[in-house]
Amino acid sequence: MIARIAEHCFWLGRYLERAESTARVLQMTGQLALDAELPPEQCWMPALAIFGERPAFSARYGEQAESDGEAVQNFLTWEEGNFSSLVNILFSARDNARSIREVVSRECWEVTNELYLWLVGEVGKAEYTHSRYAFYLHIRRMVQLCLGLSDSTMLHDTPLDFIRLGVVLERAGQTARLLDVHHHVLAGMNQGHLVVQTALWLSLLRAGSGFEPFMKSHSGRVTGDAVAAFLLFEARFPRSVRYCLEAANRYLRQLSSPEGQGPLGQESLACLTPLLEHLRPESLVGPEATLHALLTRMVEGTSELCLLIAREYFLKTMPLGAQLGAQVMQG
Amino acid sequence: MRQSEDAGLFKGYSIIPGAFDELISPQGVPRPDFLRLLELLGSRSPDEFTRIQALAERALLNQGVTFSVYSDRRGTERIFPFCLIPRLVSARDWAHLERGLEQRVRALSAFLDDIYGEQRLLAERPELRDIILGTSLYLPHLRGVRPPGGVRIHIAGIDLIRDGQGTFQVLEDNLRTPSGVSYVMESRILSKRVLPEVLEQARVRRVDHYPAKLAETLRATSPEDPERSTVVVLTPGPYNSAYFEHSFLARTMGVELVHAADLYVEDARVFVRTTRGPRRVHVIYRRIDDAFLDPDVFRPDSLLGVRGLMKAWAAGNVTLANAPGNGVADDKAVYAFVPDFIRYYLGEEPVLAQVPTYVCAREEDRRYVLEHLEELVVKTVDEAGGYGMLMGPQSTREEREDFRQRILAEPRRYIAQPRIELSTCPTWDGATRQVVSRRVDLRPYILTSPQGSWVLPGGLSRVALRAGSYVVNSSQGGGSKDTWVQKETA
Repeated sequence: MIARIAEHCFWLGRYLERAESTARVLQMTGQLALDAELPPEQCWMPALAIFGERPAFSARYGEQAESDGEAVQNFLTWEEGNFSSLVNILFSARDNARSIREVVSRECWEVTNELYLWLVGEVGKAEYTHSRYAFYLHIRRMVQLCLGLSDSTMLHDTPLDFIRLGVVLERAGQTARLLDVHHHVLAGMNQGHLVVQTALWLSLLRAGSGFEPFMKSHSGRVTGDAVAAFLLFEARFPRSVRYCLEAANRYLRQLSSPEGQGPLGQESLACLTPLLEHLRPESLVGPEATLHALLTRMVEGTSELCLLIAREYFLKTMPLGAQLGAQVMQG
Repeated sequence: MRQSEDAGLFKGYSIIPGAFDELISPQGVPRPDFLRLLELLGSRSPDEFTRIQALAERALLNQGVTFSVYSDRRGTERIFPFCLIPRLVSARDWAHLERGLEQRVRALSAFLDDIYGEQRLLAERPELRDIILGTSLYLPHLRGVRPPGGVRIHIAGIDLIRDGQGTFQVLEDNLRTPSGVSYVMESRILSKRVLPEVLEQARVRRVDHYPAKLAETLRATSPEDPERSTVVVLTPGPYNSAYFEHSFLARTMGVELVHAADLYVEDARVFVRTTRGPRRVHVIYRRIDDAFLDPDVFRPDSLLGVRGLMKAWAAGNVTLANAPGNGVADDKAVYAFVPDFIRYYLGEEPVLAQVPTYVCAREEDRRYVLEHLEELVVKTVDEAGGYGMLMGPQSTREEREDFRQRILAEPRRYIAQPRIELSTCPTWDGATRQVVSRRVDLRPYILTSPQGSWVLPGGLSRVALRAGSYVVNSSQGGGSKDTWVQKETA
């Protein structure tokens, strides 16, 4: 497959996943603000932190605005100058899909196009104003529809492998950051607010679409350690860091299968292997081992892996390589 | 119109005096071939029509069937304005067109072979020398190159109009990168979706096999075994206004859409860069202009081109569709001589009429044009899309004076034609919720392989949406219609 197209596929996957994740985090944070008796800044700040947008937001609105849920949502949904805003992410997803219109299935393209047109049209804006929850839900559903369609209407071949690779790597990074930010907040709280803490852990699970799966596998017993371990190591949960990196490993092996020429993809695989080896509960045992250190390693490792994939597969010869997406390949 | 047809959608439909209406005779009765369709469509109510028209437009937008794309990053994309009332062509008219189009492409191919070969014509008719070799579209360094498979005009789009008597006349030949065929197929998809019963009963020939035919045509001209040949579509990229069509063709043919940067030439062979290394390319359906194809040969500043591509082509290692240099045959001044070419190369009389054309490069013609600017349509030979035109009857004194100076300065760049009364077709006007008569033209598509030519039964009917307008170009407010070619009666 053409290297340029592989790159568009990869970024289509990443942007779709990022849009879903952004909509989900905002949706859940809005719910949390209703459930937990938390100071508003502890509610909304994490949403900014997960996407690495705290500094940009503060520079624009001042630090005290972090308690203003409307300002945060507006920034993460509509802000033109914010590369991580939904409007920019969905534009980029659609732009990538359009560039490879002949590669993605018609169904998949139409959903991406429709979602973007909905967002920037009258209907999307009205939904945002009148029914915030439904607004985020619509975005999540359309993205899921698109990913589901890509799976059921495209050849299971290289282009789809690259889309999926983009999805799982984006997802691994998001889950790791989500956990890291929330864990950080929780660690800074006084012990003893068990009810509040539980609400936060539940919200974290919901933000990771993991509430029901977690309850099923833990018979309803919620503890901080169990939630963290679930989001990191649970091999059966499709948003856990391990699940995503194992899937990435599978796609990368498929892409570098022996019929290829030379050692294509070997560096990417070499980068991924130690990450997978560290993804086990034992990594958290020992005097120097902390959850934060492990998560940092995962976030940075995933980001490095993405750069290697770009170097190995996308060849970086084309001017399109400098597309918007490359700038927001955040750690 | 007579009382019997007076009801429904077509109520109050009036035709333009002097223009040939595609559906209704000057006496106000439907043409017999189309009576059935008129009844079927006429039974729809304006409400219903408004609804299905809106449905169709939304579908086009969601599918991204758009033509004019962003100049800025977030510029609006527009759908090609579209009217659901089809334009009909009878089986008899179509048979005539088919013969004429096939003949015309055959003659134009012979002309191109000659002009890039022996130049027999120029030896015998030296007075044509300046006109033919005087266009920048003639590429002298390609003389002597014979394209793989011997085909030069793989895809032709020939613009036709109908005069006041209903006679089809050729208006323009497009032998480089004629566009619009994707809209033909998208329009048909819409017709099937929103007017299924009408389409079924009108006995319309299908158009959806075009991509398969195109792929077959392209493969058949490959320098290698067609079965083992790689075909690609070469696009300038997503910011080109016809990008939708480029991706449509690649997608429906099941081939890859490439940018120039995806290709490179080694040992006079073309390769595409893939994630698994280089792969040889045998046939390129290129949708970029000659001037941008190869910075070694043409514009050195072109980023769209592929270095060495022309060498690979000349070596016979890659097919370029259409062949470079075809522009000389669709130049608007050369057009005037196509009937001569048909007689000269084929020894046949032209089947299709064409518009009388004054070539300003000829002194006699020029004198006439300058004296009759008020009656004529003056066109610049190297501009398309309705630009660089003087519509004499509607022009101001200043505009005419401007063109007079231009013609005197560079006569080779101008031609003039009498204004032809374009035929009209009932067209839905969303603003007044009425059917009104609007002028149309027709662009059929002709595919040519070493085995001969094939004409797609249908084509792009472009319609001037503004009342009184003759301009059908999409860039100037034109729209499109589905063209329904009727099946022969058994």
